Amino acid sequence: MNVADTSASTRGSSRELWFEIVSGGSGLALALFMWGHMFLVGTILFGERGFDWLAGGLEKLYIAQPTIVIIFILFLVHAVFASRKIPLQLRERKAMMKLAGNLRAVAFASPNTAAPSVGTRPHLESWLWIWQVRTGMVMLILGTAHLVLITVDIFTPMFGEVAGIEASSSMARVREWLMLPYAVLLLCVEFHAGVGLYRLAVKWGFGAKLSRAALWRIEKLIFWTFLGLGIVILLVLAAWLPPPFAFMLE
Amino acid sequence: MSEARTLVFEIFRYNPQDPDTAPHIQRFEMREEPHLTLYLALNYIRENLDPSLQFDFACRSAVCGSCAMIVNGRPVLACRTRTADLANTIRLQPLPVFELIGDLSVDTGRWFRGMAEKVEAWIHSNEPFDPSAPEERMEDELARTIYESERCIECGCCVAGCGVALTRDDFVGPAGLNRIARFMLDPRDQREDAEWFEVVSSDEGVFGCIGLMACQDVCPKELPLLEVHAYLRRKMLLSKAPDLLKNISARRKESAPKTPS
Repeated sequence: MNVADTSASTRGSSRELWFEIVSGGSGLALALFMWGHMFLVGTILFGERGFDWLAGGLEKLYIAQPTIVIIFILFLVHAVFASRKIPLQLRERKAMMKLAGNLRAVAFASPNTAAPSVGTRPHLESWLWIWQVRTGMVMLILGTAHLVLITVDIFTPMFGEVAGIEASSSMARVREWLMLPYAVLLLCVEFHAGVGLYRLAVKWGFGAKLSRAALWRIEKLIFWTFLGLGIVILLVLAAWLPPPFAFMLE
Repeated sequence: MSEARTLVFEIFRYNPQDPDTAPHIQRFEMREEPHLTLYLALNYIRENLDPSLQFDFACRSAVCGSCAMIVNGRPVLACRTRTADLANTIRLQPLPVFELIGDLSVDTGRWFRGMAEKVEAWIHSNEPFDPSAPEERMEDELARTIYESERCIECGCCVAGCGVALTRDDFVGPAGLNRIARFMLDPRDQREDAEWFEVVSSDEGVFGCIGLMACQDVCPKELPLLEVHAYLRRKMLLSKAPDLLKNISARRKESAPKTPS
């Protein structure tokens, strides 16, 4: 690198900056969408009427159709760009997993002193990354299936006299056979998105004013809140719980 | 005071120079003394149990960075690690990534030299040097930030703890990014953002980092490595943002005539 030479080619590096923006940006957009998604599906807490009113409205106003297309594209784009960073070779993956496992384990199980003296905070984040990859892979399969299902639901009414997304069919599905896959998907989404947002904040220094510990507490709060909300919604969809706010629309 | 423990050391042994040896783990036992550090324990083993054991030490006070090794799976400085903080069985391995000299001794020097040459870790200036001129002044705040980066002792713990450095040879590593930031901050260094961009904004540089955060958690000098990396990311994005926007609008203009009006 010469001071005088300012004409260095920056094409490759520009590309890698772009990849980083696309992968982080799509992840951020998807995580934010999933919060919105929780409130959309959450209308089931107001009973079937609440759910059908919102779902029908979003379809009639042609908001649902472009949204699902955009989300499907973002989902695939994020999968392609984020997976760039997964080591290709099994040998490399094993090395990374061993390192992450070692750093997570309590290396300093001291029998004599209460607190380790050697600057060894417990380190979880490498291990969480491995689980982000794993949950990402699960979501790639289950999420694609879910997106295809919903795309069909949203688009078929445009070609005939069929209902789009509605509470009765959604509840029947969950009750019959989608309970388990949706529960797994919910857990994966909340984990992956929560940790992803935390990592994004630390990577770009969004939380510069907050400490990392504070960001981690926020992450945990987000994770448990949305997981809890998701579980309640899923139980209502499965009709294991009555919709708690249904009386408001009666 | 409880009775003295018998410590079991499981130490990685391998001499690459000797074709007859194979990598293996050797066990040593010794009685724990008060205030025993790994530095003292390893010297005891070499003096009394096996004189062929290879390991590096120089300052024994966490300044030289020679004694970094993997202790129970975690990269640490052996000189400031007390056995009192460890369980009875202590597993010692050499740092990964770096070239193995023998047993627990690795060549961090060559790696750091390669990294320094790659990022050209020296002040780049076309100003003529005047030895009689007074030194240029610098804001206190800036000087302190630069000094914070300079506290790196090149022990290699961050590199050994980084999942990316472990799997990518060309990644400059957390210490490399720290070094880059140090010269980017320095007003005497005349390198422009565009020049930095090629080495920093790539998978070899800051965008190779996937945010595992282990570097800061294992750094024995507690350097603010994550802040440094975030600074580099933002700097790269901002230095390129006008270009990126220009490219998008240029592309739009190119495609404009093709769309029927």
